[in-house]
Amino acid sequence: MNSIEKNINELNKLQNLQQRSHWMNELHPLGKLLLSVLYIFIVVSFDKYKVVPLIVMSVYPFFGFIAGELSFKEGIYRMRLILPLVLFVGIFNPFFDKQIVGMIGSVPVTGGVLSMFTVMLKGFYSVLAVYILIATTSIDDICYALRILHLPKVLAIVILLIYRYFGIMAIEADRIMTAYKLRAPHQNGIHYKAWGTLVGQWLLRSMDRAENVYESMLLRGFTGDFRIRKKKVRIADILYPIIWLLAFAFVRYSGFFG
Amino acid sequence: MHTGVSGELLKIEHLSFAYEKDEQVLNDINFVAHDGESIGIIGANGIGKSTLMKLLVGLNLNYKGTLEVAGHSVNKKNLNHVREHIGYVFQDSDSQLFLSTIEDDVAFGPQNYGLSDEEVEKRVAEALEKVHITELRKKHTYKLSGGEKKLASIATILAMEPDIIIMDEPSIALDPRNRKNLIKILNEIKSLKLITSHDLDFIMDTCERTVLLDDGHIIADGPSTDILSNEALLTRHGLELPLRLQK
Ligand SMILES: Nc1ncnc2c1ncn2[C@@H]1O[C@H](COP(=O)(O)OP(=O)(O)O)[C@@H](O)[C@H]1O
Ligand SMILES: [Mg+2]
Repeated sequence: MNSIEKNINELNKLQNLQQRSHWMNELHPLGKLLLSVLYIFIVVSFDKYKVVPLIVMSVYPFFGFIAGELSFKEGIYRMRLILPLVLFVGIFNPFFDKQIVGMIGSVPVTGGVLSMFTVMLKGFYSVLAVYILIATTSIDDICYALRILHLPKVLAIVILLIYRYFGIMAIEADRIMTAYKLRAPHQNGIHYKAWGTLVGQWLLRSMDRAENVYESMLLRGFTGDFRIRKKKVRIADILYPIIWLLAFAFVRYSGFFG
Repeated sequence: MHTGVSGELLKIEHLSFAYEKDEQVLNDINFVAHDGESIGIIGANGIGKSTLMKLLVGLNLNYKGTLEVAGHSVNKKNLNHVREHIGYVFQDSDSQLFLSTIEDDVAFGPQNYGLSDEEVEKRVAEALEKVHITELRKKHTYKLSGGEKKLASIATILAMEPDIIIMDEPSIALDPRNRKNLIKILNEIKSLKLITSHDLDFIMDTCERTVLLDDGHIIADGPSTDILSNEALLTRHGLELPLRLQK
């Protein structure tokens, strides 16, 4: 498998997850979207020295992965491109903040080390929360939720189309590479002289395909507004996010966990 | 949408078209089609079959001559009316299906017409039933086989209940079983059908009338049984007798 095929495969696997008939997938997308966003806001808003309540907040991603029957390993793997970014934001904190705030056994802990740890946790949780959302909610549903929140329709459409065209472009790239390799079997990779033509081909073909998709939308009465069928709201759709939000608020504001 | 328009659904008079100046693709085409007809548009590759179909749905408005769909002249102002009456099944099903699941994709057209949720649901169920893929409704579009994709893309058009259905090379890339299934399903659909193809056996099985295109002109227009058995005519215009008529 070449790397493009791998990426297409990845995309397909994520779509498989989104299509499962699991109760978490069936929850109303608006509730899930709001819950994820608010979770991230609350997590990020914790004081940088408050380690204990922040650790308690891990109950949400834990629950998401276990109850949602998601593989933690796969989740981490899929998020591998963003994870380093969020994990290393706080890396320099220990150098700036050297004030000692506590001891672990006989080892003094500085404010910098503590805040590095909390910043990492915050980033890590946010990534996990996003993953739980996208693994249980299709892009159509996310766009639908965004529309309910009055995101301009143009933006919702653009998000949907980028997602759709991204797949198309990957598939086109795969076709071109395969065609090339079949006719250059003894070659490792693609000769640099061929790159220009291949990339040109790829862009032209992708544009062609994208145009076809757009035309097919127009022919089916698409006028720029996006009307996905209304989803019925059930009690669970409301209770699920509310219970979580109450729990988050408790951890954040009660002072129970310090 | 069925508006009860009967009789003449398609009128083409002196239609000419060129993508580039002095490269005429279509040249003085004249053609009328009625409700309930099934018409095969045949001709060698690159002769302008797809171009003609795209003109009919208003994907290109720079044509010369008259083009009328269900009484509406194909122009910018009428585009919505025209497209309510005519549905286009793309050659490449991947272009047609762009939402995640089949049911969402089939619902897309009816929703754009602002129909109620109940009506949309009814349309989706009926369309899927007509192409016999009800059991696939929750399936992910990327997971379908070529034959299923073709049927799903036909369903997306049927759900809009057009008076005219255009299909561009529907039998391309289908294996014999799927091809046979498609023929059966197409023959159950009673709206006016225009089917382009160079698979003449397929046209023979699905169309009563055949129009032969070459060099920008309509060379012949008549019963499929006459045109598709005329070996001299077909050979002269870059085609071959349907396989089953070959000795
Ligand atoms: N978008 C386009 N721009 C310029 N020329 C085109 C375009 N699409 C098709 N053509 C040309 O128009 C002619 C007819 O093409 P087409 O209608 O696709 O033929 P067919 O469907 O019969 O195979 C061909 O010569 C083709 O190269
Ligand atoms: Mg064609």
